[in-house]
Order: sequence, then structure tokens, then C-alpha cells
Amino acid sequence: MSFWNYVVTAHKPTAVSHSCVGNFTSPQELNLIIAKCTRIEIHLLSAHGLQPMLDVPIYGRIATLELFRPHGESQDLLFIATERYKFCVLQWDGEASELITRYPMNADLSFSHSFLVGSLYNISLIAVVLFYEVIPFDNKGQLKEAFNIRLEELQVLDIKFLYGCSKPTIAVLYQDNKDARHLKTYEVALKDKDFIEGPWSQNNLDNGAGLLIPVPLPLGGVIIIGEETIVYCNGSSFKAIPIRPSITRAYGRIDPDGSRFLLGDNSGLLYLLVISHERERITGLKIEHLGETSVASSISYLDNAVVYVGSKYGDSQLIKLNLQPDEKGSYVEVLEKYVNLGPIVDFCVVDLERQGQGQVVTCSGAYKDGSLRIVRNGIGINEQASVELQGIKGLWSLRSSTTDPNDTFLVVSFISETRILAMNMEDELEETEIEGFYAQAQTLFCQNALHDQLVQVTASSVRLVSCTSRELQDQWIAPTGFSVNVATANATQVLLAIGGGHLVYLEIGDGKLTEVKHIQLEYEISCLDINPIGEKANSSALAVVGMWTDISVRIFSLPSLDLITKESLGGEIIPRSVLICSFEGISYLLCALGDGHLFNFLLNLATGELSDRKKVSLGTQPITLRTFSSKDTTHVFAASDRPTVIYSSNKKLLYSNVNLKEVSHMCPFNSAAFPDSLAIAKEGELSIGTIDDIQKLHIRSIPLGEHARRICHQEQSRTFAICSLKNCLINNDETEVHFVRLLDDQTFEFISTYQLDTFEYGCSIISCSFSDDNNVYYSVGTAYVLPEENEPTKGRILVFVVEDGKLQLIAEKETKGAVYSLNAFNGKLLAAINQKIQLYKLMLREDGTRELQSECGHHGHILALYVQTRGDFIVVGDLMKSISLLLYKHEEGAIEERARDYNANWMTAVEILDDDVYLGAENNFNLFTVRRNSDGATDEERGRLEVVGEYHLGEFVNRFRHGSLVMRLPDSEAGNIPTVIFGTVNGVIGIVASLPHDHYVFLEKLQSNLVKVIKGVGGLSHEQWRSFNNEKKTVDARNFLDGDLIESFLDLSRSRMEEISKTIGVSVEELCKRVEELTRLH
Amino acid sequence: MEAENSDSSAPAREPEQASLGDDEMAAGGASKFLTNLPSRGLFSSAVLSSNLGSMRVYVCDHDTSPPEEQLIKTNATNILIRSLQINKLRIDSKDAKASVAITKGKRSAARPLDGKSSAKRTNTGATSSSGRQEGSSTGFSERMLQTMTVERLRAILKDKGLSPKGKKDELISRLKDES
Repeated sequence: MSFWNYVVTAHKPTAVSHSCVGNFTSPQELNLIIAKCTRIEIHLLSAHGLQPMLDVPIYGRIATLELFRPHGESQDLLFIATERYKFCVLQWDGEASELITRYPMNADLSFSHSFLVGSLYNISLIAVVLFYEVIPFDNKGQLKEAFNIRLEELQVLDIKFLYGCSKPTIAVLYQDNKDARHLKTYEVALKDKDFIEGPWSQNNLDNGAGLLIPVPLPLGGVIIIGEETIVYCNGSSFKAIPIRPSITRAYGRIDPDGSRFLLGDNSGLLYLLVISHERERITGLKIEHLGETSVASSISYLDNAVVYVGSKYGDSQLIKLNLQPDEKGSYVEVLEKYVNLGPIVDFCVVDLERQGQGQVVTCSGAYKDGSLRIVRNGIGINEQASVELQGIKGLWSLRSSTTDPNDTFLVVSFISETRILAMNMEDELEETEIEGFYAQAQTLFCQNALHDQLVQVTASSVRLVSCTSRELQDQWIAPTGFSVNVATANATQVLLAIGGGHLVYLEIGDGKLTEVKHIQLEYEISCLDINPIGEKANSSALAVVGMWTDISVRIFSLPSLDLITKESLGGEIIPRSVLICSFEGISYLLCALGDGHLFNFLLNLATGELSDRKKVSLGTQPITLRTFSSKDTTHVFAASDRPTVIYSSNKKLLYSNVNLKEVSHMCPFNSAAFPDSLAIAKEGELSIGTIDDIQKLHIRSIPLGEHARRICHQEQSRTFAICSLKNCLINNDETEVHFVRLLDDQTFEFISTYQLDTFEYGCSIISCSFSDDNNVYYSVGTAYVLPEENEPTKGRILVFVVEDGKLQLIAEKETKGAVYSLNAFNGKLLAAINQKIQLYKLMLREDGTRELQSECGHHGHILALYVQTRGDFIVVGDLMKSISLLLYKHEEGAIEERARDYNANWMTAVEILDDDVYLGAENNFNLFTVRRNSDGATDEERGRLEVVGEYHLGEFVNRFRHGSLVMRLPDSEAGNIPTVIFGTVNGVIGIVASLPHDHYVFLEKLQSNLVKVIKGVGGLSHEQWRSFNNEKKTVDARNFLDGDLIESFLDLSRSRMEEISKTIGVSVEELCKRVEELTRLH
Repeated sequence: MEAENSDSSAPAREPEQASLGDDEMAAGGASKFLTNLPSRGLFSSAVLSSNLGSMRVYVCDHDTSPPEEQLIKTNATNILIRSLQINKLRIDSKDAKASVAITKGKRSAARPLDGKSSAKRTNTGATSSSGRQEGSSTGFSERMLQTMTVERLRAILKDKGLSPKGKKDELISRLKDES
């Protein structure tokens, strides 16, 4: 049964809906605040650019966001209203670095029906209006009791406060019942709690007027942006100019006095609106085209000609307005792009590298900003060079001298020899020699040492070699009967285990090795580390030793080798690799076991004490730990069957997969020819490559310049096929043209295109095969969308085969409606055509051509939009009648309805979780699961799909697909959890994981305790936020867990963790381990 | 909305359209408008860094419920009831004014009679007059009269054979004088 589900975000929302600039974090600091659906990002403007500060989750979909400053405040407050009619005012407490809720709202805003919620305030800040809801401030800046006011206008398009009025005055842009648009002003009478019809009004505006811009003093008044005109009026004066027809989506004020504004239209063009005025009277309006940006949803002028352009349809941008145009006549220079996946209209899960790890390829962006995005979990290695080498036992890089910034030598150790590779003049890797090194034995360790020397450790000796002469300076020979088993060194120290539990400590002098200390431990030593991370750069005051037999790690002081700490690891697996390291200023001890598990401890460098023990599973084979640097930050590479990079973010250790199959050894190799590279030993091969940025998800963009709406992958032809549309100029008329395009799955280039008819839209696409036919086809479902029809009455199913990289149409079938969905079904093709489900088979005609023949069908839907199949079962997501289950009967060749959910849900996506449980998403941003009741006693019971889970996701889901973003370890617990990926309008990629019941019960308990500790920002309630909510009902979430909340457990302070651990009665270590396992689902 | 308003939409369009056409020819037309963009010295570095640290995910583990007095509640009164209440309040306050006006009227009427007026006297006069009103069984209380419409007052005056002309306050005082 998979109705205990865990919902978690793998990629946070990226579509920007609002942005504003003000002094939020301190009176001196200027901040850019960005709203991304359910999150707020706070950035700091600095001399060097935009500095990210804080990412704040909000328990609600942000409907509006404004900064304002009440009387007597030195910094701005942030007003947020959510789409479920909650609002709050936040203030930044600089001392505690916390957001304080100033005025949470208990007001019942359910009067406001519109999405046009606008929070507004005038310059003296007397009131905030939230659509018919007025919340006045008193003189002290306190918000007072709110009250509702009736506004007579029904279709309000925009509403803004005006500057410079003695009483708070709003301007209302509205549409009357004859579809004409007018502007009215109202004064808010606070005493009478009413609107008083205002000082002036303006009738009969542009039919496309949709945006009001209040103009600050000295001018005052308002600018009305239409589709063909821009009008300024303030009751006494009026000015209008015509513009090129366009729909303005966003505006941003440049000057505090409102003499210049930036306007962004729906095709991504940026304009400058200039208001010239003399002695508080407007003298002229002027509009100038500046250049092109992403289609803007918000524009914020930052400083020094730098502007932030937030977008829902493409990447958000940081742009600079140049004084002189470039050669294309554009004044806009894009400084930076911020990746936005939204809107994800469709996606597919593929394994292009055939590594067993899924990648998501999304159809992202809209209009000209349409693109494909390849979203991949884990860190990639971009291979630069490789050589075949079997049986590598160790890898080290050496510099030719201490002063050399680059590595020259790569020491490769084998079972009975050591080879040294070096870069030659042609920048090729070539075998070479270091005279002082002993090449006829396995090297256990080597290192650049102080005084321009090299150290090599073999089983029999430690050799000190001069870098300049490359000759042996000194050596330490193992006592007879002993040989070195394990060795480690840094620039001044060497630590050896020579069997029988003997531990030897040497110090490196100029041309001299000195044995300083020798002790015997009761058991054999399995691993050692003396990585210097303390105050001294070249020596360590602590030595870490991993032990056989009692399975422990011990910490000794250096040089005295006194035991400081002993930590028993438990179990029977010996530690194979230990490492002292430091991330973000915090010292850790990492200890890897022979079975792929890893312990991490906080290490107190002064006392040598260990605390905060945590255990995670990285793989199944022994792990070797090594540090490396990327972008001036130290990370740890854990080489094993599942190579992993360990890094730190938010002072929390994170584990990210490396997209390689099996790595036995790794060392950083920063040579002149291969800067910032890693040398990696894997499966009989030595390769050198650079590593991706250290982060979890990697996104590659393939800009298409057109809007992709459907995508699917075909393994056999190694191609993608997409349905896309583009606005083309045909006879000077802008027309939408729709295509089916074929793309190479490696290069993502268009290799073939099939243009659809005029008015014909591509609605669905799949790769499928038919029974008695070995070919694999692409099937495309289309609709003729004619302007005069409400619903399409005609469409086509096209069957293509890929031949020589070309799309060849081999069959086509006309349908009586739009083909909303296609599925490969029992060697046939199942199509959803308007209200009907229709099954087709591919028949071979006598002349060798093929034809689609209708076999059977099923009526009874409003519009069957989403169809999934499993075996003979068909699950249909209807436009407005929720989910129904159909069954195909082979013998009768008929499809009949088995059960349905009788709720009226407007579906946006469906997926089958298992035989009995189906997952649906509906258009009020909810998820729900229904269960087939096949054991019901009566037909009535069996015919009903029972709703078993409900949850408010807060995101509009466009597609579910089975699959996973991470490589699955078959033997780990997480490997057996089935997952479904979803993609949403705001660019969220999320996971729905079906948990075993006991696991679910445990996490539910954790969640209910977390809610008590982690509070909603602005006093918003988690319970209310996650409750299933649509026009008909609001019920508490059930059988769904909020993974984002549960995983934020790891961000809590230790004391908070302990608090929770106490109430649940499970140790902090166990809780962390279980939550960390969940984070590895995405 | 002056003279320029009425004719701005049609004739103003032509010259502007011409200037739209010029736009492409006079590239660099926006340059003069892009001077003196506001600056506070931020983004001043020649090369803006794209890597200025990472975003901290905010976890709110302090109590977010605010002090009681800062909790904003909506006035739950129905809009209709509220407007009735506000009307009532308004009438009450008018009432008070009106009664002053009435006594003033009386005072001015009384002046020629006794030729002497003092604040004290008018006050006592007012109280006594209102006392008298309440005592009278046939007449209407002033408050009742105030709530009546002018139409109704005129009807009553007609019934009593008095002149139905004048402002509401005059009608009321006439009625009162009569009773």
C-alpha cells in the first residue's frame, strides 16, 4: 500500500513574482527582497554585487509583498499577504538575526475574492488596503483594527494609493459591465469606515488599461498604462501618448521623484518612461525602447544603473543600463542570470549516461524564453584525460618544489611497484623517475615536506628526498621483523603503524628524519591521520588512529602520543579511513568503515574531545577519504563504490553523489595543463578531470527560443521529441506555428522538424511500440484550435518513425477532438480525445503502409485530460470530475468504468502509485490520493474510489512521472522506497515517496513535534497551510508528510534537537540518521 | 482635465507617432534619459562578483506569535449594521448640536420679549424646555422628530394645520413649539 506519502522539494521554486528594494535589515543597508511563490529571498546590495542573505520559507503562497516604513521607524517593514488571505508584517532584528512578526493578521480576509490582492500604502502611511479590507495605522505606527469596505466596482483591475493627498486616497482602475475601463478615486474615511467618492475620476480609458503607477510628489497623480496608450492624470492635468501595442507586465521606479520608470512588456522588451515636469506641472511624457530582457514580472531598480528583473517565464536577470547602446542598439547589458525552471509544463526522466541515475529534462520557460533544462543530482566529473592502468593501490600528487604553485608529479602506487607520472613539455602525462624514491615497492604514502623535500613511505622504510637534487637525504628503516602497514604524513610529521600495534612518530627536519616517539597499542592499527587543520599550517597537535579488534578511534596528542580520547564505534566493521578536517571553521573527525558507512564527529581541537556523533551510509564498499579544494573551499572526497563529496553548507554536512560508478582512489592534481583537477583511479583506469560546482542539483539550460510544451525520450533512437510553438511572422502577421521536433539526446540539437497545420496544436507525445511490430515510434496527438470554437472538435494522431535521424510520418488518423493524452497500452495506442477514451491498433495494409484502427472506446468524461495505465487498468484525470478507473477487457475488446471519485476536483495531473492507490493534483494546489476498494461488499462500495490522503502542496503540478533523481542503492532502506517526481508552474521539482507504514508513523510523530519547535514565519500556521483547501472544503492534511519541514530538523541547533529527541524518546543520532536518509531521496 | 485633455487623444497622436518612427534612426535617443541614474555607491565595483556567499535557509525556532495588543482583528460588525450605527452616532451628535441650535433659536425669539439674555438663562431654558417636552403626552420627543424624514414632518405639520415650509430644523422647532 502506498498511501503513506512523504512530499519533499528537490528544487525550490524559482519563478519570481514580486520584488522590492528597501532598508530592511538595517537603516544603512539596502536590500532586495524577492518573492518566489512560497519563499522569500533577502539579498544585500553591496559594492561588489548582490549578496544573498536569507531564504525564508513562508507557509502560504505569496500574493503580495511590499516594504513600507511607518512613522518613527528607522528601517522598513515587510508586508506579506498570502493567497489564502493571511497577512503579516515582518521586521528584521539585526541583533538576533531573526525575523520578528510585527502584526500578524487574524483578520478574516475571506471577503476578498480576487487574485488582484494589492497591498498599498500612501506616503504618510495611514492605511494599508487589502482589497476592500482596510487596516489603518495610528500615529504611532501601530496597526489598528481592520474593517471591510464595500467597493461598488465589481471588476477591479488595479488599485493604488496616491501620493500627496491630505487624506488617504486610492485610485481604482475598473471595468464596467459594458467592458469599458475607467479610473475612479476614493478617499478612505477612517472615522466613518467607508470610501468617499474621490476628488476626481477619469472615464473611458484605453481598453487594455491594466496597470496603475502612482507618481510621487511633487507631481502626484497616476499613470495608467494601457495597451496602446500611456496616460497621466491627476485630476487637473492630463497627458497621453500612444505606444506600440504591447501588454505591460511590470514597472519599476528609477528616481525617487518619479520622473523615470522602467516598463517591461509581455515580449520581454524593456522601455524607459520619462515624465518631464516643470514647477509641479507635467510638461511631457516620453517612452524609449531600451532593449530586451526575460519577460519581466517584477522590475526593481537597485543602484548605480543596475536593475533586477524578476521573471516567471524565464531566468531572472541582473541588468545594467548603459549610457551608450551596443551595436544592436540595446542599452541593456545582462550581468547575471538566475536560473528559473518555471513554468515546468512537462518533463521526462531519462538516464542518458546509463549509470542507473535519473535525470530530469524539463520543458521550461514560456514564449521566447522557452528552454529545455537538464536537472541532474550529484556532482559531475568532466574528464580531460585518461589512461588505462590496472590495479592502482594509491595516488598522490607532488609539487616539484615547495614554492611551485602547481602539481608536477603524480605518484601511482601498485601492489609491487610505484610509478611516477609527470607533465612533459607537450603537456602530456609521461612516466618519469624521482631518483631518491624506491620504485620497486608499493608506496603507502608520499607528501611534499618542509625544506623543499619529499617524503615517501614504503613497507620497509621512510625516505626523505630533496626536491632540487631528487636524491635521498635520509631514511628511516623499519625495525627487523616489522613492516609499515599504514602511514600518514604532513609537511613536518610522519606517523607509522608497523604491525603489532606499534605506533611510530617521526619528525622531518632539514635533510633529517628523527624518530620522536614509539608506543605500542593493544591491537593492530587500521588507519591513521595527522591532517593539520589547527593553528599551525604544517603540523598537527592531534593524531587520529583507527583500531582493529575493539573497533574504535583514538585521538593522541603529538608529539607525546598520549591518549586523549577513545571512541568505540560499535559493530564489527573496522574503520578503514580516518580524516581530520575543517568545514566553515568547524572541525570534524570523519571515520569511514569497511562497509560503506561513515561516522562524523565534531572535534574540539584544543581538548581533542569528540561530540555530536552521526552515522550515514554512503555505499557498500570500504571508503577512502581525501580532502580537495574547489573554488577556494575544502571538501572531502569519499572514494568507494558510490563516490561522494562531503561538503558543508549552513554549517551542516552535506553528501552529494559524484556521477562516477566506482572510484578506488582520488587525489587533487592541480597542474598547469589541468588546473583544479582531480586524478581519479577507477575500474582499471586513471583519469584526470575537473569537478562541477559543489552543490546538489546541477541544471544545464538548452535555450530553444520557442515554447516547448511536451517532451519524451526514445531510448532506441537516442533522441528526444518535443511539441513546441513559436511566434513567427508570416506575411507581416504574427502567427503561432506549432512543431514536432526531434533532438539528439547528447547534443540537444534539432535534427528534424515536422511542422503542424495552421491552428494545429501538439497536445501529447509518446514513444511507443505496437504488437507484432519491432519498430519504435513516436506518436503525437494534436488538436485544431479554431478561434471560433470553445472546444476543439478535430484533431489528429500522427505516428512517426525515426529513420536516418529524420521524422518519417507513417500513419495518421483524424480524431473528433483534441488528443489530450496518449499512452502505450498492451501493444496498442490509448488516446484521450475530448470526453472519450479510445484504443487504437496499428494495422499493416496490403500495400505495406500502416494505418491506425479504432478498436474500442469509453465515453463519460467532461474532458479526459490525463491518462495513466498499468496492466489493463486505465486511470483518467478529468477536467473537473476528479479521478476515475477504467478496465480494458481483452475478450470483449471493451473498456468499462470500474470506479470513480465522486468529488469535483479540477485535475492537473494524475499518476498510479500502485495497483490500488492513485495520486492526483488539482488546480487549487492540492495533492490527494484515492484507493480502489476492490474488496468492498457492495457494487456501490466497489464503484467508489475512496479518498485516503489529502495535502496542500501550494504548487500547481503539471506532471507526475515515476522515477528518481538519485542513484538507488539496492540494499539501503531508501533504495526500496518508490518515488514519483513532480514538476510545477513555479519551477519546483519535488518528490512524492511512498513510505512503509512504520516509517511513516515514526516520521509523523517527528513532524508533530517539529511543528511545536519550528514556527511559521509571520505567525502563519503549518497546520492551516498544509490543509487541503479548495472552493468546496478545507480539511486537515492526512497521510501526507511535509518533507521540507521534517528535513529542516537537520538545521536546528543541538539543544532544539535534544528537546525533540527527549519528547519522542529517540536519540538525536538516530533521528539525524533517519532524516539524513530521507534527504538522500532527492 | 483642461483644454489639452479634450483634444489630446486625437491630434497629439500624430506627432508622437512620427517620433516613434524616428526612434530607430536616432539610435542613442535614450542616452540622454539614462544620465544621472540614482546611485548610492553600491554596485560600484568594476567587476561584479557573482559568488558572494550562499543563501542561508531560515529556520524559525522562536515564537512567532506577537504580543496580544499587536494582534489585528477585523471589525466583525456587518457592513450594513456598521453603517446604521455610524448614522445613529452622527444623528446623536447632530442631535446635541440641534438642541443647542433650538435653544439658540428660542433665545433669539425670547430676546425681544425680555430684552435680556444670559448663558445661564438659556441653559436653564433648554433644560426646562426638554423637560417639558418629555412631560407632554401629545407631542413628539425631539429625538423622535429628528429621526423622522422631512416628508413625515411635513405631513404631521399639515395634520396640525401648520405651515409645512422651511428646513427640517425649522419644521421640528415649529412642531415642538406647537406642542
